[in-house]
Amino acid sequence: MSILANKDTRVVIQGGQAGVNAARRMAEFCYLIKRPLNVEAFVYPPDAGKANEIPYGSGLLAIPIYKTIAEATKHHSTINTSLVYIGADRAMKGGMEALDDSHIKVVSMITEGVPEKDAKILGFHARKLGKVFNGPSSIGIISAGSCRLGVIGGAFDNLVLSKLYREGSFGVITKSGGLSNEIIWICSQFADGITTAIGIGGDAYPGTDYVNYLEMFENDLQTKAVVIVGEMGGDLEERAAEWYGAKKRRVKLIGVVSGFCQESLPKGMKFGHAGAKEGMKGEGSARSKSDALKKAGAIVPATFGALGPAIKETYQELLKSGQVKEIVEPVTLPKLPKTVEEAMKADEVIVAPLIRTTISDDRGDEPCYDGYPASELINKGYEIPHVIGLLWDKRLISEQEAEIIKRIMMLSADHGPCVSGAYATILAACAGIGLSQAVAAGLIMIGPRFGGAVTDAGRWFKYAVDNKMNVDEFLAYMKKNVGPVPGIGHRVKSLRNPDKRVKELVGYVKNLSIKTPCLDFALQVEQVTAAKKDNLILNVDGTMAAVLVDLGFPIDSLNGFFILSRTIGLIGHWVDQKRQDSRLIRLFDYLVNYAAPKRREVPPLK
Amino acid sequence: MAKVLEGPGMGLMKKWGIHVPNYVVVTSADELAKLGQANDWMKASKLVAKAHEALGSRFKLGLVKVGLDLSGAVAATKEMIGRHVGSITVSQVIVSEMIAHKEEYYCAVKSTREGTEILVANCGGIEVESNWDRVKRLCLEVGQTPSQEPLEQLAKDAGFTGLLVKKMADFAGKMFACFDSEDAQYLEVNPVVTRESDGAFVALDAVTLLDGDAKFRHLDWNFAFAAEFGRAYSKEELEVMAVDSKIKGSVKFIEIPGGDTAMLPAGGGASVYYSDAVVARGGKLANYAEYSGDPPDWAVEVLTEKICSLPGIKNIIVGGAIANFTDVKKTFGGIINGFRKAKSDGKLRDVKIWVRRGGPREKEGLDAMRALKDEGFDINVFDRYTPLTDIVDKALQK
Repeated sequence: MSILANKDTRVVIQGGQAGVNAARRMAEFCYLIKRPLNVEAFVYPPDAGKANEIPYGSGLLAIPIYKTIAEATKHHSTINTSLVYIGADRAMKGGMEALDDSHIKVVSMITEGVPEKDAKILGFHARKLGKVFNGPSSIGIISAGSCRLGVIGGAFDNLVLSKLYREGSFGVITKSGGLSNEIIWICSQFADGITTAIGIGGDAYPGTDYVNYLEMFENDLQTKAVVIVGEMGGDLEERAAEWYGAKKRRVKLIGVVSGFCQESLPKGMKFGHAGAKEGMKGEGSARSKSDALKKAGAIVPATFGALGPAIKETYQELLKSGQVKEIVEPVTLPKLPKTVEEAMKADEVIVAPLIRTTISDDRGDEPCYDGYPASELINKGYEIPHVIGLLWDKRLISEQEAEIIKRIMMLSADHGPCVSGAYATILAACAGIGLSQAVAAGLIMIGPRFGGAVTDAGRWFKYAVDNKMNVDEFLAYMKKNVGPVPGIGHRVKSLRNPDKRVKELVGYVKNLSIKTPCLDFALQVEQVTAAKKDNLILNVDGTMAAVLVDLGFPIDSLNGFFILSRTIGLIGHWVDQKRQDSRLIRLFDYLVNYAAPKRREVPPLK
Repeated sequence: MAKVLEGPGMGLMKKWGIHVPNYVVVTSADELAKLGQANDWMKASKLVAKAHEALGSRFKLGLVKVGLDLSGAVAATKEMIGRHVGSITVSQVIVSEMIAHKEEYYCAVKSTREGTEILVANCGGIEVESNWDRVKRLCLEVGQTPSQEPLEQLAKDAGFTGLLVKKMADFAGKMFACFDSEDAQYLEVNPVVTRESDGAFVALDAVTLLDGDAKFRHLDWNFAFAAEFGRAYSKEELEVMAVDSKIKGSVKFIEIPGGDTAMLPAGGGASVYYSDAVVARGGKLANYAEYSGDPPDWAVEVLTEKICSLPGIKNIIVGGAIANFTDVKKTFGGIINGFRKAKSDGKLRDVKIWVRRGGPREKEGLDAMRALKDEGFDINVFDRYTPLTDIVDKALQK
């Protein structure tokens, strides 16, 4: 048996993230004791109508969120307990709402820093209604083998180590949340474990205190002894002593009190919990509490360290008198499924990676490009073309190569509004389309007829150079197997109206003392083709392609130089249209050659 | 509980209709002289000047001067401002009018588990302290407001007669209103006096303790709470408080000069048991500290740095119970960073570190602490199988 929380306890949690975290811990406990999750619902107005996902074993449970307690208990009529995780400024309202619901018999408030006046009102209201208000600042309540309310008990491993999967013979009442686990652990090591452990919170006036719970433990025949962990301040321990000494009690009482250090410290120094403050005239000191407990017949170890042995001695007596029997532990217990990360850390699973990357890694404090930290690249004078070199070709290019790439990009950043890409972006911008979609519309235009010939041009020039073809052999091969030579020919430019971009780039590269076999070959090809037809010149795509192949960039990356450069222009066009608040564009009829059949009658459907 | 100095305390009483003497709080003699020109009462009445600081026994220290005229008050203020008493420097002086009176009474309101108690005595000053049995109480349930009849009965029980019964009842009623509305935990007026000029009850000296947790609903609490243990907070303590106010969870730090055992335990409850264990072993605490509620690692790091900087320490106790939800690995990460920083600053020489802890990710956290040995730290690490305060026994073994 247990007190306050048992197999029939069904819970609503009031609050947001902290409440969800608690529910997860509670689900771990339910899984350990092989019982369904005891959390029925949440009340959290901002998320009302949604559900919180709570892992249970290897599955996920969706627990509904309601706006009010009334809604929660209407849909889940078995709810009888509420846990309050609402902020201190709204905690009282939430606590009152729960207490006033006829379904709810126990309200435990976890919130810290609740004004004393509010806590007193809540406690008073609960007593009037004959309900239990536990807390504020309570870490929770746990009944071994049957029910966990809140995070009390800690991590899953600790639940197992502290034998919380089955009941023992010791009740525990503490003010301190951290020490509750410690005492549960001690009871499992030095004795047979606990029945129920309750955190009453460290505030000056907890809603329910030692005496109320001692009374409940006295009536719970499974509980043979109760451990209370007190601290200086207030008179709760004195009252517990008074209760214990008032008449012969069935349960044994073991108590420790903290705060003896106070005797050798500056007066009035405030330690730990809100309630831990000595009274005006020495009342509430650790010594007076400890003495009161001793006088009432409780077992009072001199120090915290002596608590374990004292509990052990009590347990041995209980064994000897036959009041308790040694417990046979279950052979197996459910193991909490690990997350993939945990299992990997423990070397228990191998996971086949979904993707593989060889260029960058941002798992540290900054991204590394091909292994080089971005900030170090910046600080050592590297620039955008170097980053392109690292991410596209996995190598740190030279300053000269970087200069060539920079020039290529500058030359191809934009080519006015009329070309397919820019026009598409402008059309989209005028239709009110957002930046990324409008720029994507422009990029979609890049293909065999517009800007997308760089890769193919590079591929075939390289093919010719690699196979030591002369121009005639190359042109014959292309005519037979491929078609028009990519990188040769321009819609408007010609020998008489040369493309200045090409002239500029070729002039610069040829002035450097580097080998440019592809560029040289492409220029030879141009001489032959342009002689045949005036506009069959080496265009900007072809020039870029030849130069980039000569620099050693992979063929498949070549279109990227145009795409990247032109993105600068496309963004510019979009911003430009946006700035002007341009109107929707519609083609004028006179710009269309309507070559469709004239209007005619539709024949009957056959 | 948060103590409030006389000035703001009297301000709150005035707000709820309690008569208080005219008063001003000044930071310089010049300011007082200027106020003296503008306020007739300062020229018309005898004045009292008191250091406006959280100091005990001000009278003995010469920080209370009575029966002054304005120029005397200006001189007293000049003398008091800037005086050092322990760690406190007097920066404010409260100057109030002396109220001519014959009789002194006592009235207080205090919080109890069951509700509120109103205490009244028909003697005041030091007389009430030696005649505590003359204090009469009216107990009120939570949520209950006292009506006129029981208040008058209380005054009668305390020995008030005739017209004074109603006056005392009114005064106590206003005290209750102030207490209840201002989230006070303790209000005491000693003495309450009858002003000779008009027979009104006036609060001459007040102790005001407010509930700091209720600050969110009192936007007019524009005053700082006073340090509660007779000294000002140190720079380091204030820095930790500033961190504490910013984070989820908490970090706490109080220096105790002269100690050699530094404390860095987790948990509001366990920390006190650790302190007890040090004292029980004959050790001298160098500080009180505590972190809890899964605080961020950087906050614990700040706390660790302060602790490593305490002068003359020989041991650091990194104790803790088995945590419920505080991540041991993460919080220990903050402590380890703090240790490393301290060590690279030349601190922690000949300092032994003692660790005991359990809770979420305890193994990872304890392993990380153990690894500090390889970096040259004198560190001893124990897990949950070593009882809570045994590390203190080991540390202080002679």
